[in-house]
This record gives sequence, structure tokens and C-alpha cells, in this order.
Amino acid sequence: MEPQYHITQLNEHAVLISLGNVIDREINKKIISLHDQLRLNPFDGFIESVPAYSSLAVYHCSRFSVVKNELDKTMEKLHSGNAHKSKLLHVPVLYDGEDLAYVAQHHRLRLEDVATLHCSLIYQVFMIGFLPGFPYLGKVDDRIATPRKDTPRSKVPAGSVGIAGFQTGIYPQSSPGGWQLIGRTPLKIFNTSKEQPCLFSAGDEVKFFQVSKSEFDSLNEY
Amino acid sequence: MSIKISKPAIISSVVATERTGYRSWGIGIGGAMDFFAMSVANFLVGNDRQAVIEMGYSSSEIFVEQDLVIGVTGKGVELRVDEKIIPLWRPVTIKKNSLLKLLKKNDGAWAYLAVHGGWVAEEWLGSLTTNFSASKGGFQGRVFHKNDVIACFENSAGHQLKILPWTISAQQLDEVYSPSHEIRCLPSVETALLSEWSKQKFTSEDFVISPQSNRMGYRLSGPSLLLNQKLELVSSPVDAGMIQLLPDGNLITLMADCQTTGGYPRVASVIKADLPKLAQCMPGEKIRFKMISLQEAEQQGYSFQNQLAELKRSCHLQFKNYFH
Repeated sequence: MEPQYHITQLNEHAVLISLGNVIDREINKKIISLHDQLRLNPFDGFIESVPAYSSLAVYHCSRFSVVKNELDKTMEKLHSGNAHKSKLLHVPVLYDGEDLAYVAQHHRLRLEDVATLHCSLIYQVFMIGFLPGFPYLGKVDDRIATPRKDTPRSKVPAGSVGIAGFQTGIYPQSSPGGWQLIGRTPLKIFNTSKEQPCLFSAGDEVKFFQVSKSEFDSLNEY
Repeated sequence: MSIKISKPAIISSVVATERTGYRSWGIGIGGAMDFFAMSVANFLVGNDRQAVIEMGYSSSEIFVEQDLVIGVTGKGVELRVDEKIIPLWRPVTIKKNSLLKLLKKNDGAWAYLAVHGGWVAEEWLGSLTTNFSASKGGFQGRVFHKNDVIACFENSAGHQLKILPWTISAQQLDEVYSPSHEIRCLPSVETALLSEWSKQKFTSEDFVISPQSNRMGYRLSGPSLLLNQKLELVSSPVDAGMIQLLPDGNLITLMADCQTTGGYPRVASVIKADLPKLAQCMPGEKIRFKMISLQEAEQQGYSFQNQLAELKRSCHLQFKNYFH
């Protein structure tokens, strides 16, 4: 595996290693492996690394030239044996979102088809960002891929499950947001009373399953 | 051992050393808008990395319920203790039942109140600083409301109002905050994609801090910039100081409470040593960007760290000599 990679400065204490500008499972897996390797074998001056779709930020208290050297060495040693050990999480969803009808109409589907298609694939957690604990998942079936809303909502409730293009995600806190809301999960995916507050990490896998209103109510953690 | 915030500033909260290590969960590092002023407030009163109260954009009033050693730093306020004007950047002993007023001035945005021993704050994921999106850390994970009472740890009392004899020199302050309109930055990931015209405008024209500015970012108004070609970016990491180009051609500089990732082109990054100066700019103020090389930025970073370390040593020595 010798993907083309580019190392550039984000600023004087962060470096970006990029494998392109794409949403791709294999490329993202390489980013996560690199993230794992750096955390397992941190170089002198390493602070933390942050994986995104096809790039990784490496925060440091060293110099760019030193960090670049370290990253070149790590990339050289990176091989398929370093693949991230992902865990699969099953996430219940009540498909009653405010935009469910819009998404169905957009693709000339029945409401239940949207739910079925959304539950049909195992998604990869590409990255966590935007809000504490917000997982960027994908890719969804192209029969339900739907562009963001033109005008974002000023308040999306916590637990809302949405679609934006080929991405799907869950709002961990209530916040403004422009994703098409198709349902909600009763799980608290970001729980500050837990020592490990974030249910997902980048590299994990997620499969949604449909629950009824009464099942939702009995599982509801909010 | 506590104070009552009888009148909080518009944005007032507990800040402390940044929360690093959790950005891969989308948890930003937060911390002070002006980390230089926050650090010096701590050093003046013999602290290292204790929690400090940050007050932004308007006047505050604080009722002090017992004898304390405090330090107020930053910009944009005049400090009065029981109506007596007290200079900023000085450690001060004050007696119980005093009223602290921080009256708004227009020379800056953020002021810092440190107390010897530190304010009692909630620790979350290894840091005392407030995280507003998770409502954790600091004082109940939120801004101060009227009549909130915050406690402090054991304090060496002073029994009378007295300005103590150590401070930071005017020259040291100038090095951080002057000239006030020049903000140094270095190229970032998408800098090369700016059009030649935009690159030139970026450093040759003024940008004005917009009123739509907060702890997450300062929006700027100025010449509308563009890239060589239209570019849709997938989300990628961002950091405080980064200057992003918005779809409408305007710029935003990310500040202490920024997100961990974003999707707009990163056209430059303000060097860490100039973030305090930028943070202190009020809406309406003009700034001019100056591009420097990575080598210069790294050098600035080291000398800034050394300056802080030296200030800490000298403040701590004088604090110790005075109180022991």
C-alpha cells in the first residue's frame, strides 16, 4: 500500500497529512491506522492526532521538519497488518424524522423504504467532529442520499439521525444543523457522566435497526 | 472563601489550561481567548495553571467576601476596588467586603481575574476550562449569571487594600500587543489555492472585525477573496488561529472555542504568539495580516514560551519573598 500522501503545515504546532480530498472507506482506514500507530508509538513532542475523512492532523510541540520526518517513517512502516480493529455497534432508530417525507419524496420512495435502506448497510465511522461526539457515517445507499437543507434548522434535538449527501450522522447535543432528519435514536451517544463520554470512535462500524415508538420509549436515555 | 458576581460581563466564564487529547472525539481544546493575559494573571498571584475568571465585552461587578490576593490582567477594563482606581497587571491584596468594579473601556475585549490558590472549578477530561457545547468544566459548564457565587482555594490574606510591588514591564506588554493592527500569520493547507489577486489583497488591505464575533470565531469584513477554482472540501481538521474562506468570499478566524474539524479552505493561520492580540480586537477594529515564514513562526513560538517561563519565575520569586 503506497498511497500518495502530502504533508503540509496547518500552523506552527500542527501538521496535516493528507491522502486526497475524498470520502472513501479504504483511504479513511489508512488514516485511522496512522492515527493508531502514532498513539501507540508517539514521537517526542507528539500531543494528539485527529482523523478526518482523508486527512490526519498531528498536533505537536516540536518543529515541522522533525514531525515530517517522523510521519514519513511511520508511513513507510504502515502496512495492512496495522488495520484498525473496529467494533460494530448496533444503534436503534425510530424513523419519524421531520424530513423523512421529504427524503422519500425526493427519491420517489415510500417512508418505510427510506428506513429499510438506511438500515441495510454497515457504515464506517469516518470521523468525529462538528460537535463533541458527532459521528460522520457513510456511505448511505445512493437511493437515499439527499443534499443538506437549503436553510439549516436553528435547533436540531439531541439524538436526531440525519442524512447529508452520502453521509449519515447523529446529533449528540441539540444544536443548529442542516442535515435532513429522518429519525432519532434513544441512545445517548455522548454522555458526559461517563468516563469515556463518546460512544463511537473513528474507525468503528455502525448498523442501524428500526424500533417502534414503544421500544424507543423503553430504551430512551434522554 | 468566595466571591459573588453581582454583575457578570456579557460573556464571563472560568478558563484554564486547554483540554488537549480529546479532539478526535470532537471535543475542542477551549481555554482563554487571551492565554497570555490569563497566564500572567496566574503568575502575578503565585499560581501556575489555576482556573481564572474571564470577562468579555462589558463591565462587571464582584463582591469579595473575604481577604484575598488577586491579579487582574487583560484589556478593555478599568479596575476599581471600592471606587479606588487600581492598575491592571499588578497583584493586589484586598480586604473582605470590598466591591470590585471592572468598568468597560474600548482598548480591548477580555479581562482576567486570578486569585492566589485559584478558583474552585469542575475538572472534566483533565482540564478546568469551560466547554460550552458539552456544558462541562469550569463553573457548572456555563457562563456566569447574576449573583453566582464561586469559591476559591486557601488564600494568603492581605487584610488591607495594597498594590504589591511586582508587575510586567510596559515593554513586555508592547511585545505582545503592539502594534495592535498587525497580525502575523503563516501559510496553511489551502493557501496556494488563493487567486494571485486574493493573495495580494490578503496582506495589502485592512480587514475589520465584524460584530458577529464570539469565542468560536471572529468574522472579518474586507475585500472578498476567491480561490483559483471552485473547490468542495471534505471535512478536515482545524485549529484556533486558522483563517477560513467562507463561500461568500469573507474570512473567519477561528478562536478558542472553535470546532475540531471544518469544511472551508484554510487560507492562512495566525501565529500563536499573535492570538492574544487578535483576541483583544473589538468589533469594528481594523487589522492587517502579515505573512511570515514557518521558521520565523517557530522562532516566535519559542521566544514566546521563554518569555512566559521567565515571567513565571520572576513573579513566583517575588511572591515568595513578599509573603514568606
